[in-house]
Amino acid sequence: MNSVRKNKAFMAVLYILVFLLLAEWLTPVITLTDTGHKPLFLIFIAISLLMAFLQVHWSIAAGVKIVYIMWFLIYVYTEATIFSFKALGFILSDLQINVEALFAQDWAQTTDIFRTVLFFSLLWMAVYLIHYWVSFRLSIFLFYILTVIFIAVLDTFSPYNGDTAIIRIMVVGLMLAGLLHLARWLEGHRINETIERLAGFIIPLFLMVAVSTALALYLPKAGPVWPDPVPYITSLSGEGGPGPGSAAVGRIGYGVDDSELGGSFLGDDTPAFRVEVEEGQYWKVETKDVYTTKGWELSEPVSDPVLYGNGDLIETEFEPGSEDESLNAVLEMEQDFPFVLYPYGIESIQMEGEIRYSYSSVDQKIEPLLSGAPYEPEAVELQFNEPTYSLTGLRETTVEKLAELPPEFDRYKQLPDELPQRVRDLAEEITMNSETVYDKARAVEDYFERNDFEYSLTNIPVPEEDQDYVDQFLFETKRGYCDNFSTSMVVLLRSLDIPARWVKGFNEGVLVDSDNESETEIYEVTNNNAHSWVEAYMPGVGWMLFEPTIGFTGSSEIDFDLDIESSDPEEQELPERPQQPELEEEEDAAAAASKGSNGPGLWERISDFASDHKGAVFIGAAAAVFLAILLFLKRQRWLPKVLVPYYRRRNGKQTFEKAYLRLLKQLDLYGIKREEGQTLMSYARYIDSFFGTKEMTRLTASYEQSVYGGRPETVEWRELKESWENLINRTSS
Amino acid sequence: MMNPKDQLNKVIDNIEKVIIGKRDIAELSMVAMLSHGHVLLEDVPGVGKTMLVRALAKSVGADFKRIQFTPDLLPSDVVGVSIYNPKDMEFNFRPGPIMGNIILADEINRTSPKTQSSLLEAMEEASVTIDGVTMQIPKPFFVMATQNPIEYEGTYPLPEAQLDRFLLKIKMGYPTSKEEMEVLNRSQLSVPIEELQSVITLEELLELQREAKNVKVDETIRSYIVDLARQTRNDSYVYLGVSPRGSIALMKSAQAYALLCGRDFVTPDDVQYLAKYVFGHRIMLRSEARYDGISAEEITERILTKTKVPVQRLVGQ
Repeated sequence: MNSVRKNKAFMAVLYILVFLLLAEWLTPVITLTDTGHKPLFLIFIAISLLMAFLQVHWSIAAGVKIVYIMWFLIYVYTEATIFSFKALGFILSDLQINVEALFAQDWAQTTDIFRTVLFFSLLWMAVYLIHYWVSFRLSIFLFYILTVIFIAVLDTFSPYNGDTAIIRIMVVGLMLAGLLHLARWLEGHRINETIERLAGFIIPLFLMVAVSTALALYLPKAGPVWPDPVPYITSLSGEGGPGPGSAAVGRIGYGVDDSELGGSFLGDDTPAFRVEVEEGQYWKVETKDVYTTKGWELSEPVSDPVLYGNGDLIETEFEPGSEDESLNAVLEMEQDFPFVLYPYGIESIQMEGEIRYSYSSVDQKIEPLLSGAPYEPEAVELQFNEPTYSLTGLRETTVEKLAELPPEFDRYKQLPDELPQRVRDLAEEITMNSETVYDKARAVEDYFERNDFEYSLTNIPVPEEDQDYVDQFLFETKRGYCDNFSTSMVVLLRSLDIPARWVKGFNEGVLVDSDNESETEIYEVTNNNAHSWVEAYMPGVGWMLFEPTIGFTGSSEIDFDLDIESSDPEEQELPERPQQPELEEEEDAAAAASKGSNGPGLWERISDFASDHKGAVFIGAAAAVFLAILLFLKRQRWLPKVLVPYYRRRNGKQTFEKAYLRLLKQLDLYGIKREEGQTLMSYARYIDSFFGTKEMTRLTASYEQSVYGGRPETVEWRELKESWENLINRTSS
Repeated sequence: MMNPKDQLNKVIDNIEKVIIGKRDIAELSMVAMLSHGHVLLEDVPGVGKTMLVRALAKSVGADFKRIQFTPDLLPSDVVGVSIYNPKDMEFNFRPGPIMGNIILADEINRTSPKTQSSLLEAMEEASVTIDGVTMQIPKPFFVMATQNPIEYEGTYPLPEAQLDRFLLKIKMGYPTSKEEMEVLNRSQLSVPIEELQSVITLEELLELQREAKNVKVDETIRSYIVDLARQTRNDSYVYLGVSPRGSIALMKSAQAYALLCGRDFVTPDDVQYLAKYVFGHRIMLRSEARYDGISAEEITERILTKTKVPVQRLVGQ
């Protein structure tokens, strides 16, 4: 051990920098997976590093870490105090569940607690690895590069925004690399330095990093040489689909013009608003009723909008539910919208000032007006009561009732004449076995999930001139985002004469915080959460929300008021939507690009990308393989450049023997083959006569002494290094 | 005290004063002597075999005896005889020429097998037994036997089992023309063999023998030797391969050779160098080999080229 490693202050600085680097790994993982308690994880890393730094005996360190993990589990998942019987019982029962699940290979059954433990183990290993890199290898470069790649990949392919993270990583990484280089240098030259003298190296290093970072930050920067890879490659591959704007990539968010749907989307996590509410809601903006084969338009209003004041009971087509208490929601707008985002079952709205609310029955949009002019609110308070639907009523939505509907509903049954017949046929086929209107609607809603439709934001074509948007999605592409699913469902319902309309708004967003006292949760809704869904009219019951988009869970609340025997499983299952449990919190389209577990995950996106660009991926893989083969074949040329510095730093007992064997391999690659029956010494003489040196004989004599003489300790690698380097360098020329 | 290499080289240099251009033969003789072995010199007469042995004996200050084997030589002519001494009224042992340090057994294949075996037994046991009395032959004991190439008329070829008793079989060969010129030169100036002085003592020689025994033979080298010996047993031209005694001979001689080279461990080079001298007379060829003109030396050579030389320490060492 060398003095630099014993220099506590120096090592402390290293460990602090390592901690910062590790925190950069943890942050995106925690954000993307929606894991809470980030500070507690950071504390775990800090404790691990601290014990590594203080060189606590491994058994004590392991004990402390295990106790911390136990405490974390008990603190987060139960209310028991640690070391209580309750806590012990909890851990044991959980252990049992997970062991059973593991043996049954039923991965989905493993609990969060188990996953948390796994995550902790991962952190533990990561800390150990880095501790090894820093304290023993005095080298962090590999980890540093990996961190940069990790953040860059996440920034590109996931909603995680690594703009500032990458700067922090650069700064921390450069300082760490600089310090470790200094440490290696000191060690290599066997110099013992005092902390004051060390400061003479360290302060300029820090200053340099600081100055260059500051300069880099404030100097004007050229635009990216390469465009963002995902849309760029998409457009390059020309698979964006033909038709107008085929290569166009939209940015997600709330738009007004829906007359030409289709095309790929890019995620955009610009916040739209934050909402404090008891439970996440779908936030409706407006509906559209005229389907044009390409998108949606609005029909002419038949009546004037109705005006309401602050706190007035607003009458929408969704009756507030029968819950005892209505719920409260407070929206803080972060973008200027000239309308009110409202949940289902809205009762009243409050805003500061003399605001009136204009509710139009055509599009169900609520527009705030300040002295008659459109107003963009900053904060909105809403009372609402989620509507509930009686299952009894829904079971009585017979098809016959559809014919008796008044003519106001005709506009919700509109379909363009050009709509291909196969769409209508499909609607019939899907609902063949359903009797009631409600069942039919559910059948259509479920159709997508059961028929290999794929959720994707990228590579979605715009229909061509003579193509129908819905027809293209249902029969040709079978992949798309919310607009595809919702529009298709509306068209399918309408072709069955069920009144339906297309709804735009935002989904519930991402849960960012929860307030235990007021039992409210705070959601952040970004442009990624812009969404579209379906409302359909159930005769005798009213309008109902449907969510056909795969992976999203907006649903109407069903009142199980049926007088049925509980043993009738078929009936029980009726109102349930088939959905995968893990998708429970998934959100909108954009959500895909939004935070973490919401929407298709990073992997899905990457595999989507791969399957969309098989050609590119194949060429890329082929190029990588080719490059690897080329590197392998040409290793004789570059290997010495790697080996020389590698072995130069080494001093272990076996080093010389390893280096010598390396040299033999390298000479073999160079083309001077040693026959199987040729002794090392005769080979060495040949090598020396070939190169006109004496060094191979010298090395070989030492090697023989080490191996055959069994005295590796008498061989001084330091003295042989030069000969070895000389020879190995010759092999690369 | 001088190191073994220098001591041995001094001996060899001394021999070279009288024998021209046969340094390797001198070295091999030393190797055999150091490893308590004996040498079979196979060559035509007149190439300096006797001179070599005498020079060797002189250089180490050893007692030199010569036995010229003839068809009518009896075992008692070799080992000695008990003669009744009428004066003392008892049998007195008259030691034979075998009771010396360095023996030249000339043209060993000219004598009858019975006499041959009496010599070979003495070589093996380093003692002779006459009339139930066993007598140790003084140490060091080194026999250099010569034989005419076996195709010559009137010879009794040595049986395989007896050939095995010789550590090395060496062929001297004719000198090169340059060397022969030098030989002529020297014979005029004449450095008489009698003037040759001993350069080491017998005690030192015995000490060197002990040191040779302590030369390290690594596990890898031992397995290499075994590999080589086993290969000879599997060769299609070979009727009888090298015996385990042959393996031992190779190891011992390699140890001595390593000492001669100034090392205290054996390298594969030592093994390879000595293999043809150790294996040459221990490989019995099938008649096919003779038809194809393949000699035991060539077979040894071939085995050496195809057997993997150990270049790495064994795992776990």
